[in-house]
Amino acid sequence: MKLWRRREESLDDEIHDYVNRETQLNMDAGMLPEEARFAAQRKLGSSSLVKEDTREAWGWGWLERLWQDLRYGWRMLFKNPGFTLVAVISLAIGIGANSAMFSLADALILRPLPVARPGEVVTVGFNASVSGFGSIVASYRDYLDFRNTAKSFDGLVAFTNYSFGFSKGPDAVSQMKMGMLVTGNFFRVLGVEPEQGRAFRDDEDQVPGRDAVVILGHDLWEKDFASDPSILGRKVQLSGIEFTVIGVAPARFTGMDLYFRPSFFVPVAMWPRFVTNPKDRPLEARDYRALGIKGRLKPGVTVGQAQAEMTGIAKALEQAYPDTNKNRIVEVRTEFQRRLEQSPPDAKIAAMLTLLAMAVLLVACANVAGLLLSRAPVRAREMALRLAIGAGRPRLIRQLLTESLLLAIAGGLLGLAVGYAGVNFLSRLQPPTDLPIQMTIQLDQRALLFSMTVSLLSAIFFGLAPALQTTRTDVISGLRTAGAETPQRRRLLGRNALVVGQVALSLVLLMVSTFIYRGFQQVLGEGPGFRTDHVLMMSFDPSLVRYNEAQTQQFYRQVVERARSVSGVKSAAIASAAPMDPEDGGSMSILPEGYQLPKGQDNPSVFGNTVDEHFFDTMDVQITRGRGFRASDNKGAPLVAVINEQLAKRYWPGRDPVGKRFRLDPPDGPWVEIIGVTKTLKYLWIAEAPTEFLYLPLAQHPQSRMLLLAQSSGDAAGLAEPLRHMVRELDANQPVYGVRTFDDFYRYKAVGQPNVIIRTVAAMGVMGLVLAMVGLYGLVAYAATRRSREIGIRMAIGAARGTVLRMVLKQGLVLALSGIAIGLAASIGAQRLLNAIFESNGRDFGTYLLVAPALLAITALAVYIPARRASRIDPMRVLRYE
Amino acid sequence: MSTQEDRDKLELLQGTLDMLILRTLLFGPAHGHAIAHAIERGSDDVLQIEHGSLYPALHRLVRKRFIAAKDGLSENNRKAKYYSLTPKGRAHLTAENSKWERLAQAIARIMRPSTEEGQL
Repeated sequence: MKLWRRREESLDDEIHDYVNRETQLNMDAGMLPEEARFAAQRKLGSSSLVKEDTREAWGWGWLERLWQDLRYGWRMLFKNPGFTLVAVISLAIGIGANSAMFSLADALILRPLPVARPGEVVTVGFNASVSGFGSIVASYRDYLDFRNTAKSFDGLVAFTNYSFGFSKGPDAVSQMKMGMLVTGNFFRVLGVEPEQGRAFRDDEDQVPGRDAVVILGHDLWEKDFASDPSILGRKVQLSGIEFTVIGVAPARFTGMDLYFRPSFFVPVAMWPRFVTNPKDRPLEARDYRALGIKGRLKPGVTVGQAQAEMTGIAKALEQAYPDTNKNRIVEVRTEFQRRLEQSPPDAKIAAMLTLLAMAVLLVACANVAGLLLSRAPVRAREMALRLAIGAGRPRLIRQLLTESLLLAIAGGLLGLAVGYAGVNFLSRLQPPTDLPIQMTIQLDQRALLFSMTVSLLSAIFFGLAPALQTTRTDVISGLRTAGAETPQRRRLLGRNALVVGQVALSLVLLMVSTFIYRGFQQVLGEGPGFRTDHVLMMSFDPSLVRYNEAQTQQFYRQVVERARSVSGVKSAAIASAAPMDPEDGGSMSILPEGYQLPKGQDNPSVFGNTVDEHFFDTMDVQITRGRGFRASDNKGAPLVAVINEQLAKRYWPGRDPVGKRFRLDPPDGPWVEIIGVTKTLKYLWIAEAPTEFLYLPLAQHPQSRMLLLAQSSGDAAGLAEPLRHMVRELDANQPVYGVRTFDDFYRYKAVGQPNVIIRTVAAMGVMGLVLAMVGLYGLVAYAATRRSREIGIRMAIGAARGTVLRMVLKQGLVLALSGIAIGLAASIGAQRLLNAIFESNGRDFGTYLLVAPALLAITALAVYIPARRASRIDPMRVLRYE
Repeated sequence: MSTQEDRDKLELLQGTLDMLILRTLLFGPAHGHAIAHAIERGSDDVLQIEHGSLYPALHRLVRKRFIAAKDGLSENNRKAKYYSLTPKGRAHLTAENSKWERLAQAIARIMRPSTEEGQL
């Protein structure tokens, strides 16, 4: 641009120089100064024209023309503020909806791992899916074998999330914090450079229990240590063991999944020292599969090649260790695949919302295209004039596309505001937890880039057809009449098709949002099948303060006993997970007696919960057959389990499952007898398909991390303090976390989350409807204006207002009805699609009865208003004007 | 169709002006004003060139590297832009010159007074 300026100045000087010299010449010839300058200028001609021609010679023509087009387009848009406003707002809604949905999809699935060259990083391990929720895990032994044999990778790292009792010194009360156990090569292979200090060395995960070093997460460093610059070398306590801080992870490294942010990183070799159950041998047991593995593919190695190699390695392991590795399916997955498989509901929601947002944008584009098309005849004269004075058609098309581009950019910018509001709204999806779990929905660079791309694409989408149409002008007839009045069938046909499509699409949008809304209302009305009110939750993990198993069991026995005596507590129970909090419940591998496993299939895994004998009563879970747990179902007694109706239906269809047996942790786990069946509840989220579920008695399967559920007679929140006090009396050092009423938790899980989705879907339905109605209204109004002369004549020769009204109405209603008919047909398909997505089989005729007439009424209104106005035309005025 | 013909005419005129400029610069570097007057005088004021059209032509020739522009000081110590012929421009002028001569001869032959018709 600097070069450009210099050139401009130089040209100015040159022209100036000419005028001066010519003036001097004229003065020498005897002219007066004034006269001489004037003559000199006349001799040169228009200096701005000279400059313009000269600039042309520079070869910057295209840039100049673009600039011209932009300026001209800008003026045109400003000259028609009404048109511009409607177009820009339409686009803003469409683009904004897409920006927000992209941000959501980004937060749920798309955002790349915060590591160097994330595209090369894949997940490796054995399939451990439960009820369709994908999970890929490995044991430390598996990992070592993978690492030592696989040739496809430039390094394999292993890690696992782990909870610790964290305190800054030996005397401070410890808090429960989630960290990550990682292999020594973790930071190096992932290409994450610590912000302070150093990464782990490979030798720091060689000797079990030797190297007590920790790298802090950026958040912890910032919050708990006030970004202390001299943090390195400081000692902290993790579950009672002293660790030396050797580094701080960078802020951008948020961990290995999208939601969970580890507070710190510890070498995996330290794992055995945190284990409180002596039976757990995480580094030695080949079937202790709790690690995630990521591998960095070597350049040029495809996922398929890596998969082939890993399948071979898994075969070899299966032969060498049939006890632990039989029938294990090894998988190599890209990050994107893994996320899709990990939580299918999230992927489905993201896909569904993105599709809806695209539909809204489509309606918006149709709107703008319609507006542009209806301006075509108005601009025909301008186009004809420009063609006549020598502009080529490509030039005019370029001009019109530039205008579309300006509209799209303006729409995109305003759309960002819409998107921002949407992102703020969606951010309510944050789970209520004191663990470092965050869902970051944000309008970041990627979202901005996405929005701008969408804007540009939509500019071409809505601009090209009208541009071609507008410039297809016959010069002569275009110049002769201003507003062309010969109704060109083709032109109207295009707009009609657009409006029919809009009405149809907006009907589908409305239908889909109503389906979803009513679907959610229905399941919410049915409820989850257990008590949600008057319950307080409170979590413990005595392993954080190094309780052994006996101490832990003793602790929980005391907690329940004493909780029951706290005033206001009606009943109390211990469970390993709250209902609808599957992450903590875990899954169990079972094999029903006599059940023939299909070949090549792994043992079925089901979600489950380990609960005490008070759980079913406290949470009001209905036992439909057999009995619940009793205090007598303890260590010495026969192993028992309670299953739900869905699980019973799967393996014992038509038979009474009570008294039947299954093997827990096949092939050599113990036999467990089924003693009771519960109703099928909601286990993951409110709109799930019926899910198989299993309960085991706590006394037979003791665990460290448990949850107290206390049913209150009064306000549940009021129990928090007395219960905390009770625990402090038992052990003042025991970390207590996750204290909240179950009501809050349930409301977030079952009501809050779906509500955000419902409202988002509804908002898109309404946006689509409004946009389509603007389009319909615009078309009818426009058609009526174009026919105003005809209407005037008809009325002048005696047509009644009613006749005219009917005529215009009919034209609009035919379009609206065709749109609704097409939309209804498409809605049936959309409902099938929804059923497929949510594994439901709803056939919601109510929605059709609700939405179709409503849309009909609204379209009728959008048609009636302009039609009525058309019928109020004063024939004399119209004809005189002509 | 008509635009195509217009363009041909324009090119012809343009080429002619370009040639005249190159020819003028054969005598040495000059600034725009001097070139304009030299062309006018050289044709005994018959060719009334549009002085304004000179500048686009000059800049076009610079871009084609037939002439070079250089900032210099004029006789009365004012800043001025001087144009000079490049070797490439010189070669171009020679080529254009012979082309022009052939064209002029051809036109002259056709345009000769009708009295000479008899001689054919």
